[in-house]
Amino acid sequence: MTLPELPYLTIIIFLPVVGALAVVLQQTTAPGRAIKLTAALFSFLPLVLSFILFLAFDSRTTGLQFVEKYPWIPRLGVNYFLAVDGLSLPLVLLTALLGFLAILASWKISLRIKEYFAWLLLLETGVLGVFASLDFLLFFLFWEVELVPMYMLISIWGSGRKVYSATKFVIYTLTGSAFMLVGLLALYFSTGTFDLVEMSQHPIPATVLPATAIFFLIFFAFAVKLPVFPLHTWLPDAHTDAPTAVSVILAGVLLKMGGYAMIRINLGLFPEVISTYAPLLATLGVVNVLYGAAVTLLQQDLKRMIAYSSISHMGYVLLGISALNPVGLTGAALQMFTHGTITGLLFLLVGLVYDKAHTRQIPELGGLSHRMPVIGIVFVVAGLASLGLPTMSGFVAEMLVFLGTFPVWNVATVLAAFGIVLTAGYMLWMLQRSFFGPLNPRHASLADADALERIPLFSLVGVIVIIGVYPAVMTNVIATAIPQLLNRLGG
Amino acid sequence: MTGAQFLFYALGLATVMGGLGVVLSRNVVHSALALLLSLIAVAGIYVLLYAEFLALVQVLIYGGAIVILLLFVLMLTRSGESPLVLDNPQKPVALVVSLLFMAIAIVSFFLTRWKLAQAPRGVDFSVLGGSLFQDWVLPFEVASLVLLVALMGAIIIARESPQ
Amino acid sequence: MTFEDAYRLSPELILGFFAILIVLLDLGVRRKGWLAALTLVGLGASAAWTAVLTAGGWQGTALGDTLAVDNFSLFFKFLFLGAAALVVLASTGYSIRFARFQGEYYALVLTSAAGMMLMASGRELITLYISLELTSLSLYALAGFLKDPRSNEASLKYLLLGAISSAVLLYGMALLLGLTGETHLDAIANALGRMPGANYPVLFLGIIFIVTGFGFKIAAVPFQMWVPDVYEGSPTPVTAYLSVASKAAGFAITLRVFTLALGGPREAADWSLIFAILAVASMTLGNILAIPQANIKRMLGYSSIAQAGYLMVGLATLSDLGRSGIIFFLASYAFTNLGAFIAVIAISHRIDSDLISDYAGMAHRSPLLAGALTFCLISLVGIPPTAGFIAKVYLFNAAVQQGLAWLVIIAVVNSVISAYYYLGVVKAMFMGTPLSLERVTAVRPALAALAVATVGVLVVGILPEPLISIAQAVGRSLIP
Repeated sequence: MTLPELPYLTIIIFLPVVGALAVVLQQTTAPGRAIKLTAALFSFLPLVLSFILFLAFDSRTTGLQFVEKYPWIPRLGVNYFLAVDGLSLPLVLLTALLGFLAILASWKISLRIKEYFAWLLLLETGVLGVFASLDFLLFFLFWEVELVPMYMLISIWGSGRKVYSATKFVIYTLTGSAFMLVGLLALYFSTGTFDLVEMSQHPIPATVLPATAIFFLIFFAFAVKLPVFPLHTWLPDAHTDAPTAVSVILAGVLLKMGGYAMIRINLGLFPEVISTYAPLLATLGVVNVLYGAAVTLLQQDLKRMIAYSSISHMGYVLLGISALNPVGLTGAALQMFTHGTITGLLFLLVGLVYDKAHTRQIPELGGLSHRMPVIGIVFVVAGLASLGLPTMSGFVAEMLVFLGTFPVWNVATVLAAFGIVLTAGYMLWMLQRSFFGPLNPRHASLADADALERIPLFSLVGVIVIIGVYPAVMTNVIATAIPQLLNRLGG
Repeated sequence: MTGAQFLFYALGLATVMGGLGVVLSRNVVHSALALLLSLIAVAGIYVLLYAEFLALVQVLIYGGAIVILLLFVLMLTRSGESPLVLDNPQKPVALVVSLLFMAIAIVSFFLTRWKLAQAPRGVDFSVLGGSLFQDWVLPFEVASLVLLVALMGAIIIARESPQ
Repeated sequence: MTFEDAYRLSPELILGFFAILIVLLDLGVRRKGWLAALTLVGLGASAAWTAVLTAGGWQGTALGDTLAVDNFSLFFKFLFLGAAALVVLASTGYSIRFARFQGEYYALVLTSAAGMMLMASGRELITLYISLELTSLSLYALAGFLKDPRSNEASLKYLLLGAISSAVLLYGMALLLGLTGETHLDAIANALGRMPGANYPVLFLGIIFIVTGFGFKIAAVPFQMWVPDVYEGSPTPVTAYLSVASKAAGFAITLRVFTLALGGPREAADWSLIFAILAVASMTLGNILAIPQANIKRMLGYSSIAQAGYLMVGLATLSDLGRSGIIFFLASYAFTNLGAFIAVIAISHRIDSDLISDYAGMAHRSPLLAGALTFCLISLVGIPPTAGFIAKVYLFNAAVQQGLAWLVIIAVVNSVISAYYYLGVVKAMFMGTPLSLERVTAVRPALAALAVATVGVLVVGILPEPLISIAQAVGRSLIP
């Protein structure tokens, strides 16, 4: 499929900003519906466009596609350099998808509507920019842009200790990016360019800082984002206190920024360093998987539980990277995409349950599927996908990770596989306690999801099943990015 | 020690004693008089340096006008009736720091080979005026603006507000 | 004084002329708004003349080599004139608090601007010193314009500490003169090149004294003790002026004196280390002490100390890139901090309080002012898409290029700390419950000034290339 020449990525990234402006500039008397429709339109268009890009993506060749490269700050050697490859395109698509669904999931917001949708759209721009930028400074800029919208969204529309959680999120992320800034400036000094593609051509010479030091400065920022134990403590707070749609974005795509950046930058630029420290990555991955799963088992709050399960699932990404072979990397990349859809779906469901039952405490629920069969069934599907049931996308991703890592780190793989058992444990136990068994009389009059609420649910279930049944849709695309990432490792 | 050197050290001592008197005296009027001593002694040093004009100006303006004005102010505001100067608890610290600094300064000053001026035995007033209005016209003119600003600032701070 | 001399000095002469004109007209004019307009005309005329000098190839020295008209001084002239103009615009609603001293207020703004312009242009110690005094005296008086106890305290404290610091500065200059017999900066550099090594201790003493004098102007730790009280007590437009223009003037004079007169390798190695230490102290102390502040002016005071710390990282680099980084940072900081202060002037004037807690719910009461203030605070943290982000990246890049990675790490960690208190204001404005539902508005000129500042922050944040190329040309012109 050939497309007319257009700056597609620029359009995709900046449509939400235009939408945010359109929302803000509406009259104060404008009805909430008009604002919501505007927001929906400006998040739907990027989804359509990125889907078109996905279809038009040529998976027979390797390398970058849809390249846009113009000098931006020539005196600093910074380019406006956007492009996607097999690694980033699925994530762009995922962001656009969840961005649109998040708008739909926010349809019932009634507090300060204009501001809410403006911030949500700005957030989407920041995340899309991270995935599509191949200039390190541009990447860093988008990485930081997402902070303020997140801060506002959590602290105004959140619940619980929302301001505390929002501040914690910002401080953690800023600390990470502070070190990333030092790392990227040192990289610029060593290589004379901010261009990630150019940087990845040759080993990083040691000048102002040794390559290992730069590696870890940058890794630290991504580890906060992923998050890697013990830098994860912002995550449960932020997820729990954020409004539903923001949790969806946060778990669905923001965490992936960390994983994506580790592959693109830590692996792409420092293959020599990462192969030295691969055992460390594998260990961190296993710790994440097991620690996350163990803590998840203890949670009583539905949302907190899903949040901790994210930590566990992100451990597989780390593990997949540590294998440093095509299978493991494909698994890691696919895991990011599928986890985005599955966790996004889970948070949507939790949000619906909370909206209707006004509680997220598992002991206070019980037998909900009697009153809300659709939500119950979709929850079961999402739970099964999360624990890696075959024919669901989670299975494929985790399987690939294990296949990739087993030959390299067999002990670690066996330990991590034990995480699946724990996942099955907490998921099934939670489903049992909340949705089955006798109906808690408090919830006798609950309603099921209405038509508008079903759209996001069913579309995500569709994506999960399609990838589970026919993973080649994704893996073919991802595979085109792998050779370039591994070529300096001789793979 | 030549006579000039002896005079220099004597005048220097007088300057320092005057300065100490300003700071240490508990009576404001005494402080003002000590200031006069210090300023006059500096004028003496100018004479030793063959800067007669500067010495003249120093005596006229600092010794005459400023100290007299200061005394008038003290008299008119009747602060002479309450001559108590509040004590400062940081005096010991100040003493230690000053002595330390003095030690450092003396040592380094004696280590230094200073650039000596070719003593111009007296400068012609016309040369002085020419230099002031040609080479140094910018700082000279800016100084007049500084005076204007100081005047305005003084009026603003001194005048009672209309409320 | 030749025709060329007068021509080159005209930007300052125009300001002096208008200052005197305004004081005289103040006697007869009833509607004091005309005085503000006249001040703007004066600033505009001076800027126009500066533009003529820039475009007409009038670069050179004047008045017996005491005054330099080069890209460096021209850039700072534009900066000071622009900052003064924004401050005058922002004062329009506020100036009724000055009662019958409005004419003097505008006149003093003009004389201090003239002083700053001379500070950036002088290339001779006596001229520089007297220019600094002109600036300082104007500012001492401006700090006391509210004539309430706090404002009086601000003025007095500023005057006393300022006088001590200029005495120390003068001592340092005297040592330089004694060592070299020269007061012209380039002649000093020549003489120091031939100076015997035994004289170095005195030179070092002189360097420390001069750092002290300039450090007071740029509000570097440990010469910052005047900042919180003066910032809090002064009329808010004056605080804005102090935090931007006076600080920039301090950096201009520091850059000129240290690179021109004291640029020899041995001296430079020492003072760059001194500035690196001061940078660490200023960033750390400024940011930590800003956290507990309840008064927004005090908070911005401590924040300005921290920002001075980031700027001094540029002084420590001793490179062309570092100098242009300082210039770029100063320009973006001017937009940012003026924007923040103009919003604070408008809000605080209306609600008659400087307490951050009284800013609660300002996002409802005035979305425009609260939004602009938030945007400027984000720029102060250094989050894109703002000028502050690019400025930090640019300046820290210069430091990394000189192998100062340790200093940059301290600086970026400090940026994170600063996010906490800047966000505290944002938190109050967006999440707090408003104390009243009365709308908060600002007068038109103040809104125009705010628009200029915030648009500047945004434009520099997105398209920094033109300003970078200017900053590099300006930085290069410093060394002949």
